[in-house]
Amino acid sequence: MQPARLPYASSLAGLFLCACIICAPAAPATTASFVATLRPFLAEHCVKCHGPEKPKGDVRLDSLTGDLAKEGELWTTVRDQIRDGLMPPKKEKQPDAALSRRVVATLTQALPKPQTAEQFASDQLPNKGNLIPHDLLFAQPAGEVTPPAGRLWRLNSDSYLGLVSSVSRARMDGLVKPFTIIPERGLQDYAALYSMDEPTTEILLRNAATIVERQTAHDFKDGKLTGKNDSIRDFVALMDAAKPPTPEQVAAVVKQQFTLAIGRVPGAEEVARYQSFYETCARDGDRPAAVRTVLQAVLLGADAVFRSERGGAADGKGRRMLAPNELAVALSLALGNKRLEPLTAAAAKGELITKEQIATRLRAILDTPDKRLDTSRLLAFFQQYFEYHRAPEIFKEERFPFPEKASEYALRRGNWPKNDQTLVGSIHHAANLVADTDRLVQRVLAEDKDVLRQLLTTDLMFVNLRFKEDKQTRQPVPVPAAELNPNNHRGIVGPHYVYGLATWPAAQPVKASAEQPRLGVLMQPAWLVAHSTNFENDPVRRGRWIRERLLGQTVPDLPIGVVAQVADEPHRAFRDRLQVTREAKCWKCHQWMDELGLPFEQFTHYGVFQKAELVVDAEATANHVDKNGKPLGKVFTTTKLNTTGEVAHTNDPQLDGPVKDAYELVRRLADSTRVRQVFVRHAFRYFMGRNESLADARTLQEADRAYVASGGSFKALVIALLTSDSFLYRSSPTTTAQSK
Amino acid sequence: MKTNPLQFRPEFTRRDALKGLTLGAGATLLSPFLAQLAAHAAGSPSAIRHRVVIVMQSNGLRPSFITPVGHKRKDDGKGGSIAREVVEIPLADQQLPAALEPLTPFKDRLALIQGLSGRVALGDHSGNHGALGCYSASKVLGQTIDSALADALPAVFPHVLLGLAGDTGSEAMNYAHSAVAANKPLPTLCSPDLAFRSLFGSVDGGGKGPFDRQTHLLEFMADDVKRARTALAPEERLKLDRYVEAFESLHQRQAQIAAMQEVIKRNAPQLGEKRTTTTSSLILEAQFEIAAAALIAGLTNVVTLTSGSGGQRFGKYPELGAQDLHGLGHGGSIAGKTNEESFIVLHQLHTRLIASLARKLATIPEGNGTMLDHTTILFLSDSGDGHHPQLRTWPMVLLGNLGGRLKVGGRYLEFPGYGLPNHRTIGSLYNTFLHAAGQPRAKFGLDDIALKDVKQGMPLPELLA
Repeated sequence: MQPARLPYASSLAGLFLCACIICAPAAPATTASFVATLRPFLAEHCVKCHGPEKPKGDVRLDSLTGDLAKEGELWTTVRDQIRDGLMPPKKEKQPDAALSRRVVATLTQALPKPQTAEQFASDQLPNKGNLIPHDLLFAQPAGEVTPPAGRLWRLNSDSYLGLVSSVSRARMDGLVKPFTIIPERGLQDYAALYSMDEPTTEILLRNAATIVERQTAHDFKDGKLTGKNDSIRDFVALMDAAKPPTPEQVAAVVKQQFTLAIGRVPGAEEVARYQSFYETCARDGDRPAAVRTVLQAVLLGADAVFRSERGGAADGKGRRMLAPNELAVALSLALGNKRLEPLTAAAAKGELITKEQIATRLRAILDTPDKRLDTSRLLAFFQQYFEYHRAPEIFKEERFPFPEKASEYALRRGNWPKNDQTLVGSIHHAANLVADTDRLVQRVLAEDKDVLRQLLTTDLMFVNLRFKEDKQTRQPVPVPAAELNPNNHRGIVGPHYVYGLATWPAAQPVKASAEQPRLGVLMQPAWLVAHSTNFENDPVRRGRWIRERLLGQTVPDLPIGVVAQVADEPHRAFRDRLQVTREAKCWKCHQWMDELGLPFEQFTHYGVFQKAELVVDAEATANHVDKNGKPLGKVFTTTKLNTTGEVAHTNDPQLDGPVKDAYELVRRLADSTRVRQVFVRHAFRYFMGRNESLADARTLQEADRAYVASGGSFKALVIALLTSDSFLYRSSPTTTAQSK
Repeated sequence: MKTNPLQFRPEFTRRDALKGLTLGAGATLLSPFLAQLAAHAAGSPSAIRHRVVIVMQSNGLRPSFITPVGHKRKDDGKGGSIAREVVEIPLADQQLPAALEPLTPFKDRLALIQGLSGRVALGDHSGNHGALGCYSASKVLGQTIDSALADALPAVFPHVLLGLAGDTGSEAMNYAHSAVAANKPLPTLCSPDLAFRSLFGSVDGGGKGPFDRQTHLLEFMADDVKRARTALAPEERLKLDRYVEAFESLHQRQAQIAAMQEVIKRNAPQLGEKRTTTTSSLILEAQFEIAAAALIAGLTNVVTLTSGSGGQRFGKYPELGAQDLHGLGHGGSIAGKTNEESFIVLHQLHTRLIASLARKLATIPEGNGTMLDHTTILFLSDSGDGHHPQLRTWPMVLLGNLGGRLKVGGRYLEFPGYGLPNHRTIGSLYNTFLHAAGQPRAKFGLDDIALKDVKQGMPLPELLA
């Protein structure tokens, strides 16, 4: 098969890698169906390119025998490529649709089934989302959404603590964060990715004990019980060992704990089980301890640590809308990490039923900033999407020189001395840079107009607005508002230098200067640093980010065993040193990245604008020796800066073509319909906690329309997503699942 | 299609293990480990247990730091070996390098191993899971050696993972270094308090009442979560299955631990304030004490002790003047010391703790010798030979011969250089452990594709007794 579009062809290699890793023990061979169905299909549609002579992507399909025990991994890939319409390429003869379905069905039945939650999850990782071709989602008007199956979504540590805070009256001391998140790039909190393990469960057990200890904390004086601070009166009332609680009292505290922890009242059968559990625990006579154990059990239940999205009663189409209490939690945790009281109240009153009701509530929450209502996940989306918040993970020398002065110095004496303050341009403090970009994003969100375009092209900047270095600890601390003026601002040395400003600006945001222009988040120092290495720019990582997050295509992971290293030739410009990737075996992947990242050579790896690149003068360095011939250090010079690049392989005439610099690149991206839609796809993934499927096409198209119709309002986009069928509905599990 | 060497181990869940356990133990719930323990207490030689401890320090262990003082080692310019054949130097007449000086009393039990490469795990400052898995640093591609050894050397706690977090204080656990299978990283407990409660919590106050209630709670929760499985698709049920398994496993362990109360009580470490300390070196000290106690009490046979959380999260030791380990990797130093001396301070912190652990094990009689005689301790860095490693050599220190199954006995071994004939990789050393532990594999880890004509991942006859 000749690949139509290289992203998918090259992703084949990545898929192979994954398939090798995730396959469960293979199922029995299906030789009969192979002969009948699969071999003719392969011969007609695949072997032309994946045959004995120069097989594309080193994948041969002519020699397969149908023995799935040995070939399961490759067959999984073949199945997925056919199922997703990625192969055969569009320019080749297309198989009959019914035949394709039969091949996919034959393989699906025969291939080994995932055995563990991790195996299910591995093909649902966020970075696999782009494998669905963009056109299949947006090119045609979409039919009705087929809702996904009911699911559970394990809380993350923030939402766990957020929900616990309402149970424990915000007393969080002594509680341990139980959950961790995959260390992947980009979006991380997907419902499919997480389950429980034993150490996590042990932490949950201890946290539950700590919380209940606090809920029931009391003094017992003169035969009278008095609850301590933050205790719950009805719980404390049952702590008197001399007064055995009635079954009704036990039921009442169970109901109260349910309401606090899960946001719903337990059913009669549930209450009866908890009552029975109380009796078991109380057998040894310590009734207060038995009550505490029962209260702990509620905090450990599946619905207290997983978000339940099973859906309520099925409608005429077999779809189940999330039950009101499920919906209140789902919406709350979409926007923030705590239960949003207006939504909980609306659910309780039966006013969270229609899409209009939900949209009205959401609009009210988003339009009325109220510190009591946690909507922190909105900013977190932009952090995870752009990944500028990873800047502190990249280590850089703290003090860095003015390139021009370092050059002068180097010409005279060799390496720049790190302690010579006259040469220091700025002290690098990545957390400050992240705070600056956070502030920029928040401003764009506050205006809520043409949000993506603004984020890509605004020439506004915030510069170290709120931090200064504490003299004692030398750590950055918030600057009180009263100090925020240029006369007494004592920030970290020259934070404005990074942004190309001569002095720290008191009035912010400030516009980037015409001499050192800077557009949008991709030219914020935080993003540039986050997408650099410790010592250099990283056009590959930058290009990859644009390819995946703005163009919606896929780049395979670095193959195992390949050591990615740029030539150690400090006398050459970085772009020239990166030529190593132009070798055919590297270029088949690097063509998706390098040309998109190279325009950002406009900036140093600290994010400072540069007109020329500082390189080592090899000849002068060789001559820079003392009288005994001992080297005296590197001598620097500058080399002409080349900021050209190219957008290619998108098949979109609005996008493809060379660019002369990063400014032209980001403007072109900001003007693109496709880029806007890819942004919508990422927002979908973040708020749904999963990758989109073809069945979600209508949701994506409607969200995109809502965004456009509202003049680029992110709030409108969020509301469209959170009131979509993809968010609100679940399908019933299959009959096979129910029968198990 | 090539067989994937990471896939030799079939999927094996804890639930399977529990089923096997219940069947094997019959009605008494006395597990084979406890039976073994009881036999051990009765002095039966067949009851001897074998133990492996892996100690992994962040930020690199330079080749020079494990080279005997009198030996002038030459390298290939990138840290790798230049030897064409295996070079062996007896340690008896050699002075140990400063980083290993605390291990001097155990010189005759040491093997200092140089020249095994691990470039397949090359990463930015850490091989992460690849360091113990012999695969890429960027993904969890398969079971790591410590987890494989835990399968080979079962116990009530099959695998104890304790560590010092890269970000001291805020991290109760990390998933940075070990994995039970592909995409299944294992958690390392980074708080001595959590570790103590997990291993010795049953003797930490309470009595029969609380113990029984905890048992009831675990039973109730397993049942409660099972009920929540209704009306869910299979993949969603799997999430709850893991939660059920956790409760069942904890419940099962309650029973086993109940049978071991006396021995646990006798061996529970007295940690005092170290249990909740935030001082890095004290956290490590506490974790080593907990590890020693767990081994001696017979709770586990495999312990992984790590400092740092992989990647650039090295941890820091302000109490030793080492605030910025990254800076240290770039030529910085502790006040008043050279860069090399600064690294030695941190290595000695680890090797002193290893020596202390070995001393404790050497005091406990077992069979005709001591527990130490049946143990091996591996010391390495997750970042191999340096802060920015080349991994053409991955310095390894072995202490103890695992009951005579490893040829360790006071040797400095240098394997042939990277790419030369007879060059070997870390996968070979790890498979050597598996052979010694009685669960041999044809090979361990993924191949470094740059190494042609080199046997990779097969055991090392030079070390296998």
